[in-house]
Amino acid sequence: MRSLSKFVLGLAALMAGVPAQAALSIFACEPEWAALSRELGGDKVSVYQATTALQDPHRIEARPSLIARTRSADLLVCAGAELEVGWLPVLLQTSGNNKVQVGQPGYFVAADFVNKLEVPTVLDRAQGDVHPYGNPHMHLDPRNIARVAQALSERLEKIDAASATYYEARYKDFDQRWRKAIADWQLRAAPLKGMKMVAYHKDEVYLMNWLGMVEMMNIEPKPGIPPSAGHLADLLEKLHAKPADVITRGAYQDSKAAEWLSERTKIPVVMLPYTVGGTPEAKDLFSFFDDMIDRLLKVRKAQ
Amino acid sequence: MYKPTVMAAALALVLGLPAAVQAQSNPELDEIRQQIKELKDSYESRIQALENRLKQAEETAAKAQSAAAAAPSADTQEQQRAQAPAAEAAPTQQASPNAFNPALSVILNGTYANFSQDPARASVTGFLSNANTSDALGQRGFSLGESELTLSSNVDHLFYGQATFAVVSDGSVSVEEAYAQTTSLGHGLTVKGGRFFSAIGYENSVHAHAWDFVDPSLVQRVFLGDNYSDDGVQLTWIAPLPVFVEIGGGLGRGANPPGTNRDKNGIGAGTLFAHVGDDIGSSGSYRVGVSTLRTSTDGNGTSIADLDDRTATSNRFNGDTQLYGLDFVYKWSPEGNPKYQNFKLIAEWFQQRRSGDLTFDDSGALGTGPATEAFSLRQSGWYLQGVYQFHPEWRVGLRYDQLDEGAWNSGPIASVNGVVKPDFTPRRYAAMVDWNPSEFSRLRLQFNQDKSQLGLTDNQIFLQYIFSLGTHGAHKF
Repeated sequence: MRSLSKFVLGLAALMAGVPAQAALSIFACEPEWAALSRELGGDKVSVYQATTALQDPHRIEARPSLIARTRSADLLVCAGAELEVGWLPVLLQTSGNNKVQVGQPGYFVAADFVNKLEVPTVLDRAQGDVHPYGNPHMHLDPRNIARVAQALSERLEKIDAASATYYEARYKDFDQRWRKAIADWQLRAAPLKGMKMVAYHKDEVYLMNWLGMVEMMNIEPKPGIPPSAGHLADLLEKLHAKPADVITRGAYQDSKAAEWLSERTKIPVVMLPYTVGGTPEAKDLFSFFDDMIDRLLKVRKAQ
Repeated sequence: MYKPTVMAAALALVLGLPAAVQAQSNPELDEIRQQIKELKDSYESRIQALENRLKQAEETAAKAQSAAAAAPSADTQEQQRAQAPAAEAAPTQQASPNAFNPALSVILNGTYANFSQDPARASVTGFLSNANTSDALGQRGFSLGESELTLSSNVDHLFYGQATFAVVSDGSVSVEEAYAQTTSLGHGLTVKGGRFFSAIGYENSVHAHAWDFVDPSLVQRVFLGDNYSDDGVQLTWIAPLPVFVEIGGGLGRGANPPGTNRDKNGIGAGTLFAHVGDDIGSSGSYRVGVSTLRTSTDGNGTSIADLDDRTATSNRFNGDTQLYGLDFVYKWSPEGNPKYQNFKLIAEWFQQRRSGDLTFDDSGALGTGPATEAFSLRQSGWYLQGVYQFHPEWRVGLRYDQLDEGAWNSGPIASVNGVVKPDFTPRRYAAMVDWNPSEFSRLRLQFNQDKSQLGLTDNQIFLQYIFSLGTHGAHKF
């Protein structure tokens, strides 16, 4: 009998999902939000990063491992604005986790706290895989990260009220360092102003907007549509007529098209980390922006 | 703003009145005029000053706001913190009377098919064919496939609902799925109720438009009537582990093959399933599953026909069916980024046990009229398929199907009527290539060599289009 009651108790504990450690469990959809969660949560949280910098966040399989991690999460931190529309709904519906459903305190999307660029006035799939709520790659403007950080720290304080003072102190510290870093980056990136850029996808828009760079065109003919030979020939012609300063691509994007264009136009191609972990140098949010600016400045100074 | 307006009105009154008496000219009036002029000038300058101050105030406010947004520094931080919620609230509000409409998606699909044998008469030799899947192979020539309309939305803070209506080319509409499920139970528990695809196997719960081939696997066709759905309830539980462990079960009406519709209280079908899955390194992931389905035909009403439609006598089966399934899915993509390249391997095995009665329209040489005798079967089958996406827009796939007619336990009437185990292994080979110009369109070419009928080889060619309109769909693993 005793062993039976032990078994039942054990099962009940398992059912209730009592974790071995008391840390707040965070499921972060993208590396940038995982990094921010670590900055703000410190050792009071355990962060699971669902995707890496080498994966296209639009195209993720709703893998069993992701469902398992969603099931035990106390808080979901994602970009939103339909970036995860192809996989996050499946995780939410199958996870059986009521804490992280839309509208619950455990559901946090950065897009709710940021002014989005490129909110389309015309919604038509003939324009490619457009995002009806605006461009979701918001983290490439560090000022947006500052806004999200404030909202996220408030959310952490709400969900885990016992550690509220801890989160508040961490936020204040982060915010101070982050604002100083922004000022430094802006100073350092001054030469990038007016730099004409050809990006692979429309994912560098916030970066360009922040630093006053100019988007000439994209390698993708429409968002999400891979470039055809005809489109590349067309780009080549346009770039011969009106050259750009740099061609960029993210860590998870195909390098062939960018290199093909670079070879023929002599415009340097640079791989940008896109997010934390995209390059060996981009270890956290600070070094990520450092590295991105360094890489662009290197091209700029050579010109 | 209020003060200058009042002053201007008073001024107009003061200035307007003397104009009427302007004709009169005397020193007293001139003096008054002079005073008024002074007054006017003084007020005008004061109004001007006020206007300037207002303008300046507006400009500095705008500057402060843009400065706070553009370059936050330590001293504007507090100001920005205060402003941020108000400034950010606006873009998230999207007021529209249709804002609460459910997500809507439409699937358009159609085929051109060539069959070297008559698809209307295609039944797999040695397997009970289900009356309502007689045209499972489709039609020769051009034909419109099922057009699907899916609506989905959170019902409220407790439930999520989804409905899929299928419109077949003859104009009839069927409810493919219509269910609600809980989002609020927590503890990894989900209860689903309504009509939905059963969780048995892997391919069964995938909608036809998301299959990797035009047609379902042979096991899916003979054991589950292409896509087995049921009206009922289902409970699933996901274990609180870093590895995916899911167990669940369901109770239902059992109206569809391998069951039949019935006029009875109680439960007509039950399912049990368990799935385990995880990642293998950063590039691979898998899911394995075991599942079982138990159902029966309604002895008083309908039954399943026909074991072998090439014999002159037709026969009907009534009894219990138990299905056991094993499924395996493995997906690979470089560093887990499936956009440019990925590979998917799926294998499923099923065993079906049936026991009951076989009723013949004609008892043959043993007498006249209908006759019934005990009958049982244990049959199995499996398939293996691989799909490789070698380019963002292109995929190729191969599939092999095989069925095992298994063990039969039949009596004398069956043998008199020629219903005997045919000693034949049905097989099918399939190869496909599809072009996906975007996530929303797919054009597919497929070749089948179908050897599932004794003595016949059916060479099949399909050209298929699948277009998806509306909401960006999210697909299961």
